[in-house]
Amino acid sequence: MLEIKNLEVVYQGVIQALADISLSVPEGKIVTLLGANGAGKTTTLKAISNFLPLEHGRVTQGSITIGGKNMIKAPPHEIVRRGVFHVREGRHVFSALTVEENLVAATFAHRGKRSRKDAYEEVYSYFPILSQRRNQHAGYLSGGEQQMLAIGRALVADPDLILLDEPSLGLAPLIVADIFEIIARINREKKVSMLLVEQNAVIALKYASYGYVLENGRTVLEGTTEDLSANEDIQKYYLGVDTEAA
Amino acid sequence: MSPLQLFIEYSIVGIAAGGIYALIALGIIVIFKASHTFNFAMGEMMMLSAYFFYAASVTFALGPALGLIVAMIGSIIVALIIERVAIRPMLGRPFIAVVMVTFGIGSILRGIVGMVWGPNEVQIPSILSRSPIFLGDIFVPGKTARGFAIAVILVVALIAYLRFSRAGVALRAAAESATTAYSMGINVRNVVAFAWVIAAITGCISGVLMANINTLTPHLGLVALNVLSVVILGGLSSISGVLVAGLIIGWLEAITGLYLPTEFREITPYVLVLIVLLVRPTGLFGAKEVERI
Repeated sequence: MLEIKNLEVVYQGVIQALADISLSVPEGKIVTLLGANGAGKTTTLKAISNFLPLEHGRVTQGSITIGGKNMIKAPPHEIVRRGVFHVREGRHVFSALTVEENLVAATFAHRGKRSRKDAYEEVYSYFPILSQRRNQHAGYLSGGEQQMLAIGRALVADPDLILLDEPSLGLAPLIVADIFEIIARINREKKVSMLLVEQNAVIALKYASYGYVLENGRTVLEGTTEDLSANEDIQKYYLGVDTEAA
Repeated sequence: MSPLQLFIEYSIVGIAAGGIYALIALGIIVIFKASHTFNFAMGEMMMLSAYFFYAASVTFALGPALGLIVAMIGSIIVALIIERVAIRPMLGRPFIAVVMVTFGIGSILRGIVGMVWGPNEVQIPSILSRSPIFLGDIFVPGKTARGFAIAVILVVALIAYLRFSRAGVALRAAAESATTAYSMGINVRNVVAFAWVIAAITGCISGVLMANINTLTPHLGLVALNVLSVVILGGLSSISGVLVAGLIIGWLEAITGLYLPTEFREITPYVLVLIVLLVRPTGLFGAKEVERI
């Protein structure tokens, strides 16, 4: 589905954010990126959806192919229309638009097949609470509801790959668990591949099948999430397990 | 004529002028929402449209109906050229730099019109019937009343269109965050171009109406300066606020003309704007940022 090879990204012509990132997301799988703040996780997602030029960043080396096609030159709205939807960190719902208008906005990425109305109904079936709030301004939703709406917009677009950046950010643990259950259901039922960036390594390793660890803009470790969970360094630095005492 | 009757007559004429103000203001606000660009060339765009109408209907003898269509197409083409050549390259530049560019475009348009059609007034074919309308004893000049009706119908139609259509959602989405709009698959550049097309349409209709009610000279565009107070009073970001604000300003100007020396007509709208801004910094209808408490 998604192949990234030796990706290097530079901001403002001088600041190297990614040095050498290689990863792949197979069809229908959830793959996670782990790493400390500043390791380059979000930048990797922005490179895929090509938001970098909006922030004076540039891919200087490497390749990103989606479904076999090199995507580095495509503008962001084109990439969405070709089936890669980026659910950005911090949710970014249109707060002055109603819940339903937020979904309408996402129909610009929608690629034929089903009707718009069916698309909205599907979102409401995954997130019934949004149905109750469909005429409210999105700015008045709770954080969890806004995250649901952000994921709902991705559903409207019916993508092949969803880039999920920190869906748990600032949310209560119970809500995080709910949202991840739904993410897993979407992945299962709609066969959507997902690339998940998540600070909460416990939950990321639980729901993803494969993972990469990023450090200073490089992929330093990769493996199935079972292997990663068993890795001592991962346990120590990301899962907070004190291996020496154990 | 009794003072009350005079008051009502002036009020009606003022409110009628306000309808056209609202139409012009709508063009300014749509562009502002789409790209955070304040288009000071709006007045000159409408003035140019009126000359297009003159050229098409009189010079090329196409008649008023066909002339209006040609003028509309010409206005849209000019707006798209301005957007593509002068505004798009300024994307991401400081607000004031883009504003200066629109000022420059306004001067250029006024200069071109002056060169082609000369500085003196030209006579355009009347598209509005002159026969007055009587509301009981109250006399309403025919052109003013009909101009008002057309302007208000168009304003209401555009407000409804921007509220309920997908294009309207795209415009409001781009207004809130261009980046997020892109991530929805919305081509924000097209949204901006679309906003310029809307401005061209409102500019064309308001220009032809204005030229019908007053006269057509290269200075017709100066009326857009009065519209500035409408835009600010309504709140820059409010599409539906322009109608109310337009009517208020139009009415206030007319009433000022009734009771005070005419020079005050230029002043009172801004005094009102000042007072409103002191109480409501975002204007009457400007969005307070929607934020959860």
